[in-house]
Amino acid sequence: MASGIFAGRSKTAESLMKSLKSTTLLLLPGLVLFLAFLVLPLANIVDESLRLFEPGRIGSAKDAPYTLANYAEILQPSYLIYFAETFKFGILSSLIALVVSFPIAYGVARQNNPFWRKLAVGFLIGMMFLSTLVRVNALQLTFGPTGYAQFIAGLLDVSPSGRFYTEMVVTFGLLHYLIPISALTLIGTIQNLNPRLVEASQVLGASRLASHLSITLPLCIPGLVSAFLISFTLCLSAFVVPMILGKGKVLFVSNLIYARFSEIANYPSGSAVAITMLVVALITIYALTWMVSKWHGDLK
Amino acid sequence: MKRFIDHAAAWLSVANLVIVLIFLVFPIIVAITMSFDGREYLGRFPPPVYSLRWYERFISDTYYLTGLATSLKLATIATIVSTAAGVCTAIGLDRYEGPGKQALETLFLSSLVVPAVVIGFALLLSFAMVGVFDGFTRLLAGHIIITFPYTVRTTLAGLVGIRKTLTEAAMSLGATERRAFWDITFPLARTGMVAGAVFAFAFSMDDVAVSLFLTSPDSYTLPVAMVSMMRTNFDLTIAAASVVLMVFTFALILFLDWAVGLDRLIGKGVFSSQGEPS
Repeated sequence: MASGIFAGRSKTAESLMKSLKSTTLLLLPGLVLFLAFLVLPLANIVDESLRLFEPGRIGSAKDAPYTLANYAEILQPSYLIYFAETFKFGILSSLIALVVSFPIAYGVARQNNPFWRKLAVGFLIGMMFLSTLVRVNALQLTFGPTGYAQFIAGLLDVSPSGRFYTEMVVTFGLLHYLIPISALTLIGTIQNLNPRLVEASQVLGASRLASHLSITLPLCIPGLVSAFLISFTLCLSAFVVPMILGKGKVLFVSNLIYARFSEIANYPSGSAVAITMLVVALITIYALTWMVSKWHGDLK
Repeated sequence: MKRFIDHAAAWLSVANLVIVLIFLVFPIIVAITMSFDGREYLGRFPPPVYSLRWYERFISDTYYLTGLATSLKLATIATIVSTAAGVCTAIGLDRYEGPGKQALETLFLSSLVVPAVVIGFALLLSFAMVGVFDGFTRLLAGHIIITFPYTVRTTLAGLVGIRKTLTEAAMSLGATERRAFWDITFPLARTGMVAGAVFAFAFSMDDVAVSLFLTSPDSYTLPVAMVSMMRTNFDLTIAAASVVLMVFTFALILFLDWAVGLDRLIGKGVFSSQGEPS
């Protein structure tokens, strides 16, 4: 037994070279796909975003001069409002999804009956896999004029064609997707907690609610933040929900990029918006991840 | 007092569960019911008469059927390519011990963060630049790159759970590296691979944001066809198409359960964040 291991060790240099070679070969197809279909196209739109656009053309001319005008344009209030709108809906919907799905995730994670557990997990995965268009169509039929629009708007004392109602339906559209995803993310986190901790605090006299608030919740913070991040990223790139349910009243940055492409063919401006959106998304995500890892480090 | 607070909290969580269930399920019931509406126009819910008219219209509409055929073909090819590449990449990443391992991993998963619209727009410009205008080629590229990170991630999550000692044990007992891989690593990592492939297929079938940029008049997907119908004329053929897509989703879930087991997906860290050990 021992001699076998040592025999393996003596070949290290040779086998290391060999395994390095095979590892590189394994990584090659992914790297090629990645470069060809993601990195180069992104580099391409960075270049396009810096080109001068002449109205009436499709895209920029091949030798158009470089300019920062397309980025300067984004600082105008009429553009900034798309970013503000996207962030507002993103933060609000992700927070609602977290609050609503946490108790459900807790119940599923602590469910001992395998039948109920499997049913709940299967239901959530099914809801997550449901096509966006199925969702949007179903919500449109339910909350639209042929559904319960009059009834619900009447209850809230708002107009069914007004801005508030439209914003609410867009939020519903996002939540219909975010709740199952948040719940599934949180189930994983809660499962890894030791249930004895909560029991111990209850034995020591804390109420159920107090023990959850002081034990479960703090321990779940990394999981909660990652669920928030996943939801928020999905909101930032939401496209169909605002396009269909927003009825032109609620538009996200994604819709602005698509309009630049389909309506006026101003590719340089569309590229500048796309790059700005990407940078904003990356900064938000890395800032939050960094905060979590710092928090994690402090706990240890 | 303590009991009162606990009772209130318990009631709140039950109410929360009921409201969420209604919110998630009721719209789907409405859509299914409306797809069987017998009226010729889009009327109020619930329909007074029922018929299969919208389904008949759906299956006799070549616009939708062409889209469905393209979607299925596209999702199948994209899933095969991105699963093959994703599995290779994940195994490579798992074995790589050199510098920058973490950076490499982040890089491969980073396309999850790039908004789909940005990917679609960037690919469209780049394909125009190199002179590729064929819709299917462009769509395939787009669908491969949006599904690729999912296959890497799920396979990686499956591989991390396999302790290196198992492979080392097999090798110390005389197995070659290749043999150890096919006999030990591969069967144990299959869960992650199958899950990755199912995810890839589902996301490819669902995508609108990337496809909308890359379609051409003769190559478009079912979701793109549905979106353009939704924006122009609103009839219930879309509800019928939705029900057809729902049946697909349901079949996919059953397949996932049969091949992997739904319960194992949660523990595998497929849904948890990158840095979190599961």
